[in-house]
Amino acid sequence: MSQPPEEESARPLRDVDLRAAERGVWLVKVPKYLSEKWKRASGKGEVGKLKIISTKIPGAQPEVTFSMNEAQAQVQVPGRGTATPKEHKFKLTGVGNQNLVVFSENKGEGTTAAEITERIAIEGKVIQRAECQPVVDKSYMQLKKRHVEDSNKPKREIKQITGVVTTYKPVSNHAANIEHEKKIKEGGKRIRDERDVVTNKLFEIFEKHQYYNIQDLVRLTNQPVVSRYGLFNR
Amino acid sequence: MATNVQQVAVSKPGASSGSQGNASEYVVRVPNDPLKKYSMIKFASGTDIDFLKLSHGKVKMERENNLRQYKTIYNLDAMPKFGAGSEYGREQKEEARRKKYGINIKKYNPNDQPWLMKVGDGKDCKRYKGVREGTISENTSYYIFTKCADGAFEAFPIEEWYNFQPVVKYKYLNSEEAEEEFSRRDKTMNLFSIMVRKRIKNEEETEEKPEDKKDKKKDKKSLILTDMEDWMETEDEEEEEEEAEEGAEKKPKKEKKEEKTKRRKNAKINADDEAVEESDEGDFDDRELDYISDSGSESSLDEKAKNDKYDDQGVDQEKGLKKLIDSEEESSEEENKEEDEEDEEEEAEKEAQSKKEKKKKKDSKENNKEAGGESDSSSSSSDSDDSDIDKNEDKFSSVLFMQEKKRSSRPNTPTVEKLEIKTEPKSEGGIKRKIEAEEGGAEKKVRTESPAPSLKTSASSSSISSSGEITEEAIRHYLTRRPMTAKELVQKFKAKKSQMSNEQLTQKIGQLLKKINPGRKYIKGVMYLSLEKTE
Repeated sequence: MSQPPEEESARPLRDVDLRAAERGVWLVKVPKYLSEKWKRASGKGEVGKLKIISTKIPGAQPEVTFSMNEAQAQVQVPGRGTATPKEHKFKLTGVGNQNLVVFSENKGEGTTAAEITERIAIEGKVIQRAECQPVVDKSYMQLKKRHVEDSNKPKREIKQITGVVTTYKPVSNHAANIEHEKKIKEGGKRIRDERDVVTNKLFEIFEKHQYYNIQDLVRLTNQPVVSRYGLFNR
Repeated sequence: MATNVQQVAVSKPGASSGSQGNASEYVVRVPNDPLKKYSMIKFASGTDIDFLKLSHGKVKMERENNLRQYKTIYNLDAMPKFGAGSEYGREQKEEARRKKYGINIKKYNPNDQPWLMKVGDGKDCKRYKGVREGTISENTSYYIFTKCADGAFEAFPIEEWYNFQPVVKYKYLNSEEAEEEFSRRDKTMNLFSIMVRKRIKNEEETEEKPEDKKDKKKDKKSLILTDMEDWMETEDEEEEEEEAEEGAEKKPKKEKKEEKTKRRKNAKINADDEAVEESDEGDFDDRELDYISDSGSESSLDEKAKNDKYDDQGVDQEKGLKKLIDSEEESSEEENKEEDEEDEEEEAEKEAQSKKEKKKKKDSKENNKEAGGESDSSSSSSDSDDSDIDKNEDKFSSVLFMQEKKRSSRPNTPTVEKLEIKTEPKSEGGIKRKIEAEEGGAEKKVRTESPAPSLKTSASSSSISSSGEITEEAIRHYLTRRPMTAKELVQKFKAKKSQMSNEQLTQKIGQLLKKINPGRKYIKGVMYLSLEKTE
């Protein structure tokens, strides 16, 4: 985390932007493969066209169809084929007595690393719910078939090895051991310093923490263990 | 292009076959703005909040910061990181240990914490808390379609759903309490009293808690090297606290005293290396009492024993009484409840007051006398409610001003009683029945008192009164304890000797009074008779 001390206190409440609170929006449930394609929209982000036919029969819902762009339809989703149905129907339902409101968080550009200001805004109120359902055709069937096959594959596979594994050969001296010996040679044995010097060092060390492991002390003061004990006993 | 035409061709028959309607086409855009993140607020059903209607238009939102709770749950910050009590390299050790055992702690994600929303201004703001809803399913995603100014639709994916509920600040009963009250719902008339009772209970509990906390704080301050120091410290603390705090509750003190005595006993046992007999000859010597000395014994054991005795009798009394009362049909349950409330409150007061007295050992003996006398006076009183209250006060009541309090509460209860007792003849009969029942109770009480050696003096006095005879001794006994009006004397004996008529009683008492010739005091216009204390 870039911010060193993590705050534990409650943060002050941020103002919420209510300018777009009156907007009525649609909440649409979209199938996964479609949303994946949409996420990779390029350019301005046009993905298709929505056709709304309002029927003259009173009380009936208007028919809504969504048709995908040609270009969009060809977008490659890694791991899946491009064969996705292009026509979808929106099945409209009411909201019921649920109160659904959409809000958005806008992360600032973050010019100053200290505070990232986020702006919270209300984007609208849901007035209509819809489900995006594909018009069933051959391509859809194939898609589903592939889906099922993929999910039924076992996650782990057994493969046969062709070559010989070469990682566990016996070694005269392991790399770690070599390093350790080198270190000791360079660092030299731990010399006993003057008693006063060592006790002063100990006092300094103990100012920081109360409990120490003897090995840690040895490391910190660079003294051999036996003399360390001797010091303590006196 | 060919496919496009195809698509159009496909849609056309649909349009023509159905009833003719207006077809309008819109372009759908899915903008890809990595900075903006959309989430859904779902308000609980019933909360009417409409951002359109907000006239002042002030809404604030912020994430809840549960970092502290997260740390306490996983004990991340429990030990100090530097200074006294810290270990060198503790954090690394704990991390290594966790990895070794494969313990995975979920990381604290501030973006998963609930939202706090505040709508409105100042005092009449409404607060809501929005908890994230998991399992927006993996197979579907939700998009928001909004209509733009240029007639095109824009679709935004929704990443998170939050369920917002209003934050409740009023107190409510938890499930156990709710069940209790539910079982009583036909009988409670006053629903307000339910919460009042709960609040009173809470206040009593909170009085205890700060004391315990004080103890703990004191212990932790100094560096304790041996257990002896621990004991010494707490003993010192006890003495200090006893002097300092006056209105202390009974329980924590009792526990301390028990600890003290236990420690002493343990110390005794630990001193002996060999097996100790269960009771040697000289073991209980300190428990014996000199009948001559008035001061009583010095050891705390005795005090504690006395306390225990007080306790036992008090509790039994209550039980016995309550049975008697409940067996009576006329008193409504509400009455009893109110009495219970009053009783509880008065008991609490009394116990607090009696704490003061117990430190003075002389007074403890006087308490016995007064308590014994009180019980008799209570039994003779005609008001059933008053007697209930008096009995519950029983032996702990110590001082005059406690009696004054009782007197002040008395005027309340008769009026309450009058409102609720239905018919007169019934009430009279009821009162008589109660008096008789309480006589039996008083005698019982007297009997339980008498075996106690430390209450010998009271036993003697109560034996006098319980015999029912109107003797000179009895009257002297009453008058030495406190000044009384002639009426009260009559009342006292009335209960004992219900066979005599009023006139006979007064005559006899008058005779005896002439003999005794008590001093006469005028307090508030009423003549009081009193005798100087001879002891």
